[in-house]
Amino acid sequence: MLQYDFMQNALFVSICISLLCPCIGIFMVLRRCSMIGDTMAHASLAGITLGLLFNKNPIVGAFLFTSACGGLIEILRKYFSRHLDLILTIILSLSIGTAITLISSGHLHTNAEAFLFGSILTVNHSDMFCIFLLTVISILTLYKLYNSLIYMAYDEELARIAGVKVDFINYAFAILIAAAVSISIKIVGVMVLTSMIALPVATALQLKKGFRQTLFYAIFFSFINMQIGLWGSYYLKVAPGGFTALNSVFFLLIVLLYKKINRNPKAPKLSEP
Amino acid sequence: MLKINHVFFSHTSHDSFVLKNLCLSVNKGDYISIVGENGSGKSTLLRLLLGFIQPSKGTIDLKAKNIRYVAQKINFSQLGFPITVHEVLTSYQKLLKIKDSSTVDRVLKQTDMIQFKHSLMDTLSGGQAQRIALARALIGSPDLLVLDEPSTGVDLKNQETIYAILKNLNRTKQLTILSVEHNLTAAIQNSTKIFHLVNETGIFALRNNMHKKFYKTT
Repeated sequence: MLQYDFMQNALFVSICISLLCPCIGIFMVLRRCSMIGDTMAHASLAGITLGLLFNKNPIVGAFLFTSACGGLIEILRKYFSRHLDLILTIILSLSIGTAITLISSGHLHTNAEAFLFGSILTVNHSDMFCIFLLTVISILTLYKLYNSLIYMAYDEELARIAGVKVDFINYAFAILIAAAVSISIKIVGVMVLTSMIALPVATALQLKKGFRQTLFYAIFFSFINMQIGLWGSYYLKVAPGGFTALNSVFFLLIVLLYKKINRNPKAPKLSEP
Repeated sequence: MLKINHVFFSHTSHDSFVLKNLCLSVNKGDYISIVGENGSGKSTLLRLLLGFIQPSKGTIDLKAKNIRYVAQKINFSQLGFPITVHEVLTSYQKLLKIKDSSTVDRVLKQTDMIQFKHSLMDTLSGGQAQRIALARALIGSPDLLVLDEPSTGVDLKNQETIYAILKNLNRTKQLTILSVEHNLTAAIQNSTKIFHLVNETGIFALRNNMHKKFYKTT
């Protein structure tokens, strides 16, 4: 199958997704804001439609629009500090409203619905270049901000005292989320994009390891999930997004089951008389 | 090291003052316990010192450069954060751009927690986690250590250890400590001065009649 150009392109993008999504996802899950990923994924649809409207690369359109939405989330946090759910509703209204209006206007030159479920056929060389660039820049930025992000996830006040520029990093992290979303939309699709951000991390967290090991396991699970999703979609002729999301949930269930079976058998049973 | 000059604070311009005309001077080597009933403004005073909020009136003159803070709650264990003791300390060390590779072992030995170096934070008791928070605060030789009720949720044995470490650091290394305390006995036994917050302001109290005075006002 790798003799086909489209499969080579899809394989390359799937590796980028496996690397970047869990690196962003681990901080989102630990900061209890993984639903921001879902909102940003939906916001990317508006970016895609804007890109298509102006005959530009939809990945660039998605990245720019989701970055703007990420910035807007951080600004709104100052006004609705205890209502993240409300902020996400506002962003969803803005982005989905934009996307539906543009799609229904009939002015788009391509079918935007293909981005909802993902496709292994649609990745071209221009997309690959954008995805490679975004992945490299994002991973280098994450490496630079690694310790600051750990402490911001732990306690923002403590991070501030240690001299971390919390507000600036919050904005930078919003752009990193936008990058992770943008590189994933072509293959995973908008609808289940959060699964690639949250599920490999959720599976890795079950192993009860330290931070670095949890991150490595999350990348490993993400890689396995993406490859099963990719090859499965090729053979079964289904959308890769849905199949990746399904096997990610299946993996999590297997790990949970494994943990349950291997629970310390010597532990006393409280129900016995 | 720290001088609070006639500070007033209210949360909004319409609210009454939580702190009124508060003055406090902290010198190098002091171990000051801040005591007072619930709602007396202890946490507000701490947040003012750390710069999270600004006084409505008055000034805070802070000369200490390396300030460390030990919060009341231990967030890593509460969140189920997947992180080891070693990672907590090395991340903080890197954040402060300290390159000395012996730092982590030194602070773990100072807090008698070296045997837990590779343990997950999640597996530690409240008292052990508090000692790791203290170890983290000792990275990079702080000038001023600010603590918020260090013995909250900590068993008696760990309380004794924590206060012994603080007293030792204060007496032998001249580390300046400012601690909000709900544990009056610990405040009297360990600190060099007690600052009593009452009626929206504060005064230094004599340790000998502190119990009597505190319970009379609360």
